[in-house]
Amino acid sequence: MTESAPPAVELRGITKRFPGVVANKDIELRVARGEVHAIVGENGAGKSTLMKTLYGMHRPDEGQILLDGREVVFKSPADAIAAGVGMVHQHFMLADNLTVLENVVLGAEKLHGIGADARAHILTISESYALGLEPDTLVEDLGVGDRQRVEIAKVLYRGATTLILDEPTAVLVPQEVDELFGNLAELKREGLTVIFISHKLDEVRKVADSITVIRRGTTVGTADPRTTTAKQLAEMMVGSELPTPETRTSTVRDTPVLELRGVTVGGQGARPAVDDVTLTVREGEVVGIAGVEGNGQAELVDAIMGLRPLAAGTIVLGTDDITTWSTRTRRERGIGFIPEDRHRQGMLLDAPLWENRVLGHQTEAPNAKGLFIDRKAARADTERIMREYDVRAPGPDTLAVALSGGNQQKLIVGREMSAAPRLLIAAHPTRGVDVGAQSVIWELLKDARAEGMGIVLISADLDELIGLSDTLQVMLRGGVVATLDPSAVTPEQLGGYMTGAVSGAA
Amino acid sequence: MSVLRRTGQALLAPLLAVAIALVISGVVMAAIGVDPLRALSVMTDFGDTPSQQVTAIVVILNRAVPLFLAGLAVAVAFRMGLFNIGVEGQYRMATVVAAGVGASVTLPGPLHVLLIVVVAMGVAAIWAGIVGVLKVTRGVSEVISSIMLNFIALGLASFLLTGPLRGSEPGASIVTTKEIPESGWFPSLNGLLGALGLANPPRQLYGFLLVAVVVGVVVAVLLKRTRFGFDLRATGLSASAASASGVDAKRMVITTMLISGAVAGLIGLPDLLGSDHNYGTQFTSGLGFLGIAIALLGRNNPVGIAVAAVLFAFLDRSSVPLQIASIPSSVVTIIQGTIVLAVVIANEVARRIARRQAESGTAVAPPATGDGSSGEPGTGPPTGPAQSTSTAGRTDPTGSAQ
Repeated sequence: MTESAPPAVELRGITKRFPGVVANKDIELRVARGEVHAIVGENGAGKSTLMKTLYGMHRPDEGQILLDGREVVFKSPADAIAAGVGMVHQHFMLADNLTVLENVVLGAEKLHGIGADARAHILTISESYALGLEPDTLVEDLGVGDRQRVEIAKVLYRGATTLILDEPTAVLVPQEVDELFGNLAELKREGLTVIFISHKLDEVRKVADSITVIRRGTTVGTADPRTTTAKQLAEMMVGSELPTPETRTSTVRDTPVLELRGVTVGGQGARPAVDDVTLTVREGEVVGIAGVEGNGQAELVDAIMGLRPLAAGTIVLGTDDITTWSTRTRRERGIGFIPEDRHRQGMLLDAPLWENRVLGHQTEAPNAKGLFIDRKAARADTERIMREYDVRAPGPDTLAVALSGGNQQKLIVGREMSAAPRLLIAAHPTRGVDVGAQSVIWELLKDARAEGMGIVLISADLDELIGLSDTLQVMLRGGVVATLDPSAVTPEQLGGYMTGAVSGAA
Repeated sequence: MSVLRRTGQALLAPLLAVAIALVISGVVMAAIGVDPLRALSVMTDFGDTPSQQVTAIVVILNRAVPLFLAGLAVAVAFRMGLFNIGVEGQYRMATVVAAGVGASVTLPGPLHVLLIVVVAMGVAAIWAGIVGVLKVTRGVSEVISSIMLNFIALGLASFLLTGPLRGSEPGASIVTTKEIPESGWFPSLNGLLGALGLANPPRQLYGFLLVAVVVGVVVAVLLKRTRFGFDLRATGLSASAASASGVDAKRMVITTMLISGAVAGLIGLPDLLGSDHNYGTQFTSGLGFLGIAIALLGRNNPVGIAVAAVLFAFLDRSSVPLQIASIPSSVVTIIQGTIVLAVVIANEVARRIARRQAESGTAVAPPATGDGSSGEPGTGPPTGPAQSTSTAGRTDPTGSAQ
């Protein structure tokens, strides 16, 4: 980091307009070679637009992009890659049914072929940056952290010297985040430049060498992570204090809403994905399920929703044994569902909002009139949800794909709450949404809890789990290994239980 | 977005595509030494007398009716993301059995026709249902099984025709089933033509046209307005989201195949009940495959399919006048092929543009606090060489959202 060398990436006065709005205005950014530079800001502040500009996905209306002091013009991501800029997207773009090697090579076959040469290159990359890749493993068998490393390897394989990571920690648990930060340190040591987009201020302060803050489409300043507190950063970002997930007094009642008795779900190998799980959710209780991703939480959710058959055990909703009920009956009888992956399970992206409001509640008022869909009532109710849950979109006929993730999630939450369920399965309800939407969703969950709804909360955000839950269940390798009191556990302790480093119930 | 603008946009792409296809076909015709303008004038020449003109229209409509039904049968399955390639076999099986049953009973008029219709729908539905059952229980791709069942259906139909259902004299050059008695004929609409003040042509306008219209309306309502239609379309847009919403995917596959098959069963009936009155070796074939093209052309939308069916019927009719004018009738096939290709490409391009517009709409939302997210869908166009398969949900195979 010599002062005289031109910065690896410099943006001068970047302005990007979309019809009717300025997404980026006079952005100034200087990233030195060999540093981890964080860009923080609320979502919707324009971070992604800026990174799309830098990655050549669209061209700025004004301003210059300079790499190592030379001005460049990117017509497409291909140009950006040729100039050594690579991007690791938040949503992984991997083919599950191909191996790590095939995924990395796909689209870059010209570089080193697809055979031994390519393999050697991947292994070299894996070794020099401690990525720990196994070229012949199928991507579908990999966990989230490993998939992310494959994405990073893809970018490095194409010769990138500047990496853009878009919200890389949004999908990771603390231990995986630490591993990622280890990888980033390796990259930095080898002289690569990393641009790290995030809104998690603690992480940013831990990993970044310098920080640029974006608010409402423009850069509001830079900060030194060593001298700036999270609170100061937050104020730069939003001009107000960050919300907390803390719940108030306990609202737990005696009546159980959901009882799982010895629930077992078959897995891919001999080991079951969910192994003999027994737990109870009472009215007004939030039961948090903690666990490193891939330890059976997703399968447990599927089992409760009736999307996956049980190998053994029973599920009781209220007083009804619902083990053999269909998903639809379960939903009709009062289970609400906020799925983990809203694009896969929660929404029809190519359908208008009002059809998305109907989704999951096809048979219920106000969406259905006998065997018919009541389009008028569904549209009107969509407008109500948009109003009450602050879903920002032009109208109920807008396609869901046009909404930002936070607004999509608010629509899903609004839709599920509108049916007034007895039990809500909330899987990562605030994943990938900004601070504003996050606090709205937290408030909604707290209100629902106070009104007596039972909630199963699955989350990778340990603060969220500890803050919202009345009881914590830790899942490891499909089984519940610990039941903890969230008021007496720290995120670090919880992380210990999740990885199996600590065992036994508290 | 206003309804008018939406409809305009929806129509623009196919119209443009048809125009481009005509230009390409013109170039091809010129290349093989046919004057495209002369060909076009022959094709659009419906004759001089009112009687000839009305006859031409009747011929087109009579051809359009089975094409429309075929397109509809394919589209119902397409809408759910199922490729029913087996419509061909389904209607052939249905027609031969219905012809056999129809010829072997005598019933009062409407009942006789009804019986034939029900038998045809039932047989085709069962034939299509096999595909559904195989998919649900054994995971067999419906594309493979429906194509294979086509061959079995054709063989079985030939066996039935030459064996148990044979009606023609032994040694006759054309083998047919026994003729259906007159009570099982579908009355023509020529009386209606007269009432409209049009010349009464020598050809009979199929009364089955009305049935097709009714089926079209029923299918449109079913898809657009009912809970079942919602489930069906939701499954087509994203199978994972649909099952999370409570749609029973397995039952959906079977029901959809049954409906698609039942509609397919009607395809042969306009000809069977309107003019041929028996099934034979010369019975119209290939309608099932044309149905796939027509469904694509009509974007799986009943109204679009009707337009596409009339267009194809118009092109088919012109093959005879073209030959009379000593122009190769394969010109028609060339035009049909280029239209289908052009429309499919245009639809896909239009869909991508619409989606791109919608996505950049993400940034259009005013940057106020509490807005936005990080989970922007499908960040990035599929042009980046560093990208591979997106994990987005299953999309409609024909690229039509609505």
